[in-house]
Amino acid sequence: MEIFLQLLITGILVGSIYALVALGWTLIYKCSGVLNLAMGELTLIGAYVCLTLYHWGIPFLLALMITLIIGFILGILTEVLFLRPMVGEPVLAVIMVTVGLAFFFKGLVMLVWGTDTRVFSPTVFPQEPIFIGNIVIGQVFIWAFIASIILLIAFVTFFKYTKWGLSMQATADDEMAALSLGVNAKVVYALAWAIAFMAAGVGGTLLGNINGLNISVGYLGLLVLPAVVLGGLNSVPGAIVGGLVIGIIQNLADFYISRYTPGGVKDVFPFAVMVIILLFKPYGLWGWVRIERV
Amino acid sequence: MSFRPCGNYHQYYRQDHAWWQTKFVWGKMILLGIFVFYLFPNFAGMYLISIANVVGYTILSAMGVQLLIGYCGQVTLGHAAFLAMGAYSCVLLMLQLHIPYPIAMIIGGIVGGLWSILFGLPSARVKGFYLIMTTMAAQFLTVEFFITQYVSQIGGRGVAFSIPPGTVKIGPWMIKNDRDVYYLMAILVILFTFIMANLIRSKIGRAWIAIRDNDIAAETMGVNIVLYKLLAFFVAGFFGGMAGAFWVTSLAAVSPEHFHFGWSLWLVGVILIGGVGSIHGVIFGSLFMTLIPEGLKFLIFVLTQNPIFVNLMPFLPLLLEKFLFVKEAAFGLAIVLFLIYEPNGLSYRWWQIKNYFNLWPFSY
Repeated sequence: MEIFLQLLITGILVGSIYALVALGWTLIYKCSGVLNLAMGELTLIGAYVCLTLYHWGIPFLLALMITLIIGFILGILTEVLFLRPMVGEPVLAVIMVTVGLAFFFKGLVMLVWGTDTRVFSPTVFPQEPIFIGNIVIGQVFIWAFIASIILLIAFVTFFKYTKWGLSMQATADDEMAALSLGVNAKVVYALAWAIAFMAAGVGGTLLGNINGLNISVGYLGLLVLPAVVLGGLNSVPGAIVGGLVIGIIQNLADFYISRYTPGGVKDVFPFAVMVIILLFKPYGLWGWVRIERV
Repeated sequence: MSFRPCGNYHQYYRQDHAWWQTKFVWGKMILLGIFVFYLFPNFAGMYLISIANVVGYTILSAMGVQLLIGYCGQVTLGHAAFLAMGAYSCVLLMLQLHIPYPIAMIIGGIVGGLWSILFGLPSARVKGFYLIMTTMAAQFLTVEFFITQYVSQIGGRGVAFSIPPGTVKIGPWMIKNDRDVYYLMAILVILFTFIMANLIRSKIGRAWIAIRDNDIAAETMGVNIVLYKLLAFFVAGFFGGMAGAFWVTSLAAVSPEHFHFGWSLWLVGVILIGGVGSIHGVIFGSLFMTLIPEGLKFLIFVLTQNPIFVNLMPFLPLLLEKFLFVKEAAFGLAIVLFLIYEPNGLSYRWWQIKNYFNLWPFSY
């Protein structure tokens, strides 16, 4: 039971990072209908930028802030340069643009920062674990959880209460109606990408703090997909719940199922879950069921 | 030149169905055949032949992707999984059961096809993005889990299955060097192209195209969607499995790294650059995607030899050293730029040029 609780809590803490990145993913999909497969590379860029800044001697919080700003700028640039010409093109073409971007970003990251694992040194968060009853949790996890929750709340607040957030919601709901009411769709798309870049950058930084940073952190971008499929593609609460659930499932599977296989199931189990969801409940928990007509 | 005067002067259906309808096209094809089977393998160096093999392998692998994406509209991002199933079943049959290579290859193709059906099953319920997810899951579940952790354990050979020299032979013909691989590749490419082209113009192909264009409309017209979608997955998986089994000949050892996720994406990139929904597209895309990186590498290499350029651009030696990453970034950028500026791909451009010269000098 203790082990179970331990796994559950670690799962929730890691899952909060997934939830953050999944939120960014869902925002892009909701606002502009683009299915972004480059999310992993966005996390890589953010994480490496933050790491570089940190190694230059900038305090971690400040470095994170600068990463957010750089992510904002890069997000808008990406949207304007690569995604805007594709508005109105077939879905597959847009998806493949994001795949192309993924390759492009990944190549650039490896070119600039190499493939070796890098760690944040000196470590950002204290090393001593925290004991809650019999459960041991590394402080990194707690801080990552707190950071993701703060950002999640910030993004959701932005989405619900500010003018731009509301116009994003309007665009997501009905683009034509929003346009006719004077919402500037271009700004909304760019904003969605900017937020996704920011969320991904923070997610990558936090994950890099836990395990060290190398190209495999980009795998996070793929793990987001089971999360959003579980929650339903166009649901913000769905993305958050999906991220948490995938985090938990991954941790539990790693402990309970990995021992029966030669090499562990941690990396592939979320995808197995995803296939099962797709077979039985393809629109996820809160996604819109699409009724198609000819 | 390949155009004929107005009106249809065919007297038999055989003439109407013929692939090459005029003497001119026959001549062109014979010249091409001489080039492919005699001139190139005899007069090109080993380096060029090995590049040609990579091009051929890309064509064979991308053929199934083209079938699924270009003709049936079912996006697949996990084709390397089917290649891997084909390659591994072929190698295992040869090493464990000592089955001759051609039979092992065909069985490998069938295994790839059946595996592909397994992950195509969700296509009965979902489509578009959700199907992309399923095929992507196929990639991870197959290669990273099933093959790496279970299949690789068979026979206790470690992760990589090394193939002893002399194992791969077709009857008395031992495939031992790149030139032999080249001949096998050329035969297979022609065979695949022929099968694919004939499938596309048959009832099956028309059903696939109907599903691609509008699946609901196709269903109302009486096309059995599930059956034809699964058939498309089977044929694509079969092509993939055969391609994987073919590539065994030129690999010293088969290991999961040859079939990673990047290769699946690469194949989709190949058909996007070549042109979706065109068999020419597969060939052009493969040529482009293999030759351009080689050319780029050569260019960077030449530039680094000259001190003037190195002084001008001090990052050049670094680029050569890390060329793999340059290639990846260039590939990504190429896909993006092609989709933005040339969404119909190279085959459309080829068609335009051909038409221009067909009517030259009196084009309107």
